[in-house]
Amino acid sequence: MAETILVVDDDLDILELLKMNLEPEGYNVRTANDGESAVQSAYMDPPDLILLDVMMPHKDGLQVIEELKDTEHTKNVPVILLTARGQTEDKVRGLDTGADDYITKPFDLREVTARVEAVLGRTRPIKYINPLMHAMGDAFSEEGVQQLAGHLQAAAAIQKKLLPEQAPSLEGFDMATLLQSSTSVSGDFYDFIPLSETQIGIVLGDVKGNGIPAALLMVMIRTALRLLCHEEDTPALILKRINDLVVRDTEADLFATMIYGILDLTKSTFTYSNGGHCYPFHQKNTKEMTLLKTGGMLIGAFEEATFACETCSLSPGDALLFYTDGITETAASNSAVSGENQGESTQSIQDDAFQDVIPMDMFYGGDRLAACLSKNAALPASALCEAVVDDLAVFSGSTTPHDDRALIIIKRDT
Amino acid sequence: MNFETTIGEENISILHVEGKILGNAADVFRRKMNDQLQTGRDKLVVNLMNVPLIDSSALGAIVITLKSCQQSGGKLVLLSPQKAVREVLEVTQLNTVIEIYDTEEGACAAFA
Repeated sequence: MAETILVVDDDLDILELLKMNLEPEGYNVRTANDGESAVQSAYMDPPDLILLDVMMPHKDGLQVIEELKDTEHTKNVPVILLTARGQTEDKVRGLDTGADDYITKPFDLREVTARVEAVLGRTRPIKYINPLMHAMGDAFSEEGVQQLAGHLQAAAAIQKKLLPEQAPSLEGFDMATLLQSSTSVSGDFYDFIPLSETQIGIVLGDVKGNGIPAALLMVMIRTALRLLCHEEDTPALILKRINDLVVRDTEADLFATMIYGILDLTKSTFTYSNGGHCYPFHQKNTKEMTLLKTGGMLIGAFEEATFACETCSLSPGDALLFYTDGITETAASNSAVSGENQGESTQSIQDDAFQDVIPMDMFYGGDRLAACLSKNAALPASALCEAVVDDLAVFSGSTTPHDDRALIIIKRDT
Repeated sequence: MNFETTIGEENISILHVEGKILGNAADVFRRKMNDQLQTGRDKLVVNLMNVPLIDSSALGAIVITLKSCQQSGGKLVLLSPQKAVREVLEVTQLNTVIEIYDTEEGACAAFA
């Protein structure tokens, strides 16, 4: 999502010049030509950054900063001051008042762009953290970012622990789950949301992207799901709502893939929508297997994304298997691939050990997972889960996953 | 991972990528695409013929570049993704918003 810069100067030529310079860089540019309208504009819709002239009649730049810093929803908007050469006192007072940087007139347009990018780069993480800070009712200081980063990593780990370890026990169904975390903070998640006496919402997903924004996105999606999911809403509608929420609140390269569905215990149906997630398997008691492909795009990147639903009937003995790509992208051990070196090192291959060529055999893959499911379809859900884990361990020669892995198996009792 | 950019007719940039695009390599990939946009070239063909594998970071780079191209009135199209890459594009349904071509001629004709 393009960031918005509010440019404030009483010199219309300078406004025009800055606008012409910044828009091609991908910013939305709003302008104001006096202090009062600048404050109004920022109050109405806080921009991502303000380029603010100091010397203006009536209300000068420093007064503008003071008013913005006094108001909750504008106090964290970064400000770069435009000052005349030699006005050292203005600069000092400006920085004291809370400006983030200053640029001396006459300026080089390249410097403006560079400073805008630098300040936004510094303050961007705050945007992700701010909602949390508001929730905590705490005043926010930029110095706290680093410390907070550590706390958030810990919070993400806790969040992961909050995922339901045990699948709920449901009349007529047998469920098992698996969640293995690698050391990095990443975003596999699942949840079971009771919707009514006879219906339960089931979600499994994977937040893409790294670090704190990804961890926060996972928290946000899980919370939103808990709040949004109602029995009467179709999974397609829920995914659309989550999509629009994430599109609005995050950058385009932060997104998730997920499947959400409603298991109806009396009708023995599963109605789902798949948002760009690796296709779950429906292993039928007839040995036939289908993939749950119906849905739409990955979640959170495109406003125009649309989603569809499908209902599958679960016969006695049918199984559904949901997974994240940490399972299918499990790397092979040397011995598993070459068939040689049996009994030697079973250490799994590190990523940089095969820079050049990657035969797809290097990865466990969907076909192996499907075969494992077919072969063990008669087992109870938890034993089936273990069979997959064992198969992965044999394939990779390691029991330590390098990526997060999540798995849900739902079987209808025979 | 290697990159080479050729400029075709109508100022179309063709970015030839070689090697898998995983993890931090996606940042380089994104920068290479962005370099073209920065010089005003928003008609971008990304040749994936020699890319055996991509991950979600690479998808993110493609998504964000696609959006930048669209915002400036340009377009990003993909050329000859291999099976594994094509599958990722299908599962995520990015193939519904990004045009994919099997020949360079076809890809370039997309900008006509």
